[in-house]
Amino acid sequence: MKRGPIGWIALIAGLAVLAALVLVPIYLVASSSFKLPREIINRVPSWFPKSFTLQHYQKLLATSDFPTYFGNSVLVSSVSALLTVVLATLAGYAFFRLEFRGRDALYRAVMVAYAFPSIVILIPIYLMFAKAGLIDTRAALVIVNVTFALPFSIWMMRTFFASLPKELEEAASIDGAGLAATAWYILIPLLGPGLASIAIFAFVSAWTEYLFASVLILSDAKRTLPVGLSGIIGQYQIDWGLLLAGATLSVVPVVIFFAFVGRWFVSGLTEGAVK
Amino acid sequence: MTKSGIAGRNDGRIALYLLAAPLGLLAATLILPIVSAVNISLHDIRVIGSDGPFSGADNYVAILSDAVFWRSLGNSVVWVLGNSLVQTVLALTAALVLNQKFPGVKIARIWIILTWIIPTVVVVIIWRWLLSPSGGMINPLLIQLGIIDRPVGFFANGPMAFSTLIAINSWRWFPFVAVMLLAALQRIPGDLYEAAAVDGAGPLRRFREITWPLLQPTLLVLTVMGTLLSFNVFDVIWLLTAGGPAGATQTLPVLIYETAFKAYRMGEAAAMSVIASLLMIGLALALLKMLAPKETGR
Repeated sequence: MKRGPIGWIALIAGLAVLAALVLVPIYLVASSSFKLPREIINRVPSWFPKSFTLQHYQKLLATSDFPTYFGNSVLVSSVSALLTVVLATLAGYAFFRLEFRGRDALYRAVMVAYAFPSIVILIPIYLMFAKAGLIDTRAALVIVNVTFALPFSIWMMRTFFASLPKELEEAASIDGAGLAATAWYILIPLLGPGLASIAIFAFVSAWTEYLFASVLILSDAKRTLPVGLSGIIGQYQIDWGLLLAGATLSVVPVVIFFAFVGRWFVSGLTEGAVK
Repeated sequence: MTKSGIAGRNDGRIALYLLAAPLGLLAATLILPIVSAVNISLHDIRVIGSDGPFSGADNYVAILSDAVFWRSLGNSVVWVLGNSLVQTVLALTAALVLNQKFPGVKIARIWIILTWIIPTVVVVIIWRWLLSPSGGMINPLLIQLGIIDRPVGFFANGPMAFSTLIAINSWRWFPFVAVMLLAALQRIPGDLYEAAAVDGAGPLRRFREITWPLLQPTLLVLTVMGTLLSFNVFDVIWLLTAGGPAGATQTLPVLIYETAFKAYRMGEAAAMSVIASLLMIGLALALLKMLAPKETGR
């Protein structure tokens, strides 16, 4: 459809507001992390750094536990993402390709369980994990993160399986390929974009998780980024430079990850939302 | 077609193998804890690792007669409504903009979700810094624009802190909702708009008569999801105001967390979470029921 001048103005105004809303705060944080402390809290704020320093990054990497937190987060989030993809694929195949008794009831039970407030299971999980000796282990965080990412991932899987013609599997089966071979050579490659969206969903969920990470982890050496960073907020007399540098470095890995698979993620999410 | 799917395979047994790990995990970490929460709520547990004596409905009686619980419940209701409203309006606007064709639209559609992929603690740092009365950029900006004449304390009083939190949480979540709404918008056939335009319908009428009705089912699903998700939000509130000032931003999850992990009254905290889940399930079912007849009509 043709757009008149008013249409163009509305579109540009809308885009400008969106950009201001989403990008400007993030830009300000990233650019200010290179400013000298006195410029950061200057009464007249600057859009572009007049001073340039790496001192906040040096302090963050050399004297704080930030690198440890960062490593823990990368480990926990990657393992959570990997496990979620594997489990969601297994469950997805069972739910959306196989016919068995109680399938719909099981599927509904998974979705209903997901609707429970996470705070509800915090207390029982804490007590259960205490008995099982899982408190203060990174494994505990992986278990919890996979649990939270799994129902939504299985739900997204539905769309990805729906987009694969069933005939492909039937043809492979006629050619004598077993289920494993069919999965490895036919399903996995075709499901690639779907698996990428699930991986990024699980990675981001784990990367941002705060509540359980703050309760289940006790020792500083095992903290993840969100909890570690929030500790830094209180630990130093609000050192904005340090916090802004920490904030910037916590965003960089997800942004890089997202730059590669974000396209699939957004299409996966949007496909899943409407079917 | 045979009932067992492809070439007489035994679907039931394969499903059992495939589902054992994922459903086993979910049973152990979702279903079992939910059951266990009910059990804990019937006991007086104050020491981690001990089971505590059975106390029947005592925890429930204690909570329901506590004004703090009712205030937090009220705060949660306002929190959920406020977030749904702000997020839906922002997301719908964003989705309508991103549904247009313009150069760079693909990149814009991917990167709008940036605020969702950053950790809450970073969201907290960003806004605490931008809103801080000394050195933050929002106050000078508002003064320059002539909206205010002296710096505002965004967390200074209850209503202000509450609205600021809603704004920040909505900022974090609206792109996620926008992307889902965008998907629904893109399913609306373009011919409908062409035909309406030929009939002389302006943009507003096209929105009211085509976009809005066709968008409603998705909007309702997202409202249900958004209600559950925003009820759960704990970290933004905890890290920015910790429920203050004077309990004004203490929603139910914050109260549950404090009761369990600051006051170590596990039984009472569990009872609160049981009540909270019953309310959430009731609400979700009610909303879904409202939506059901519309969906079958599609």
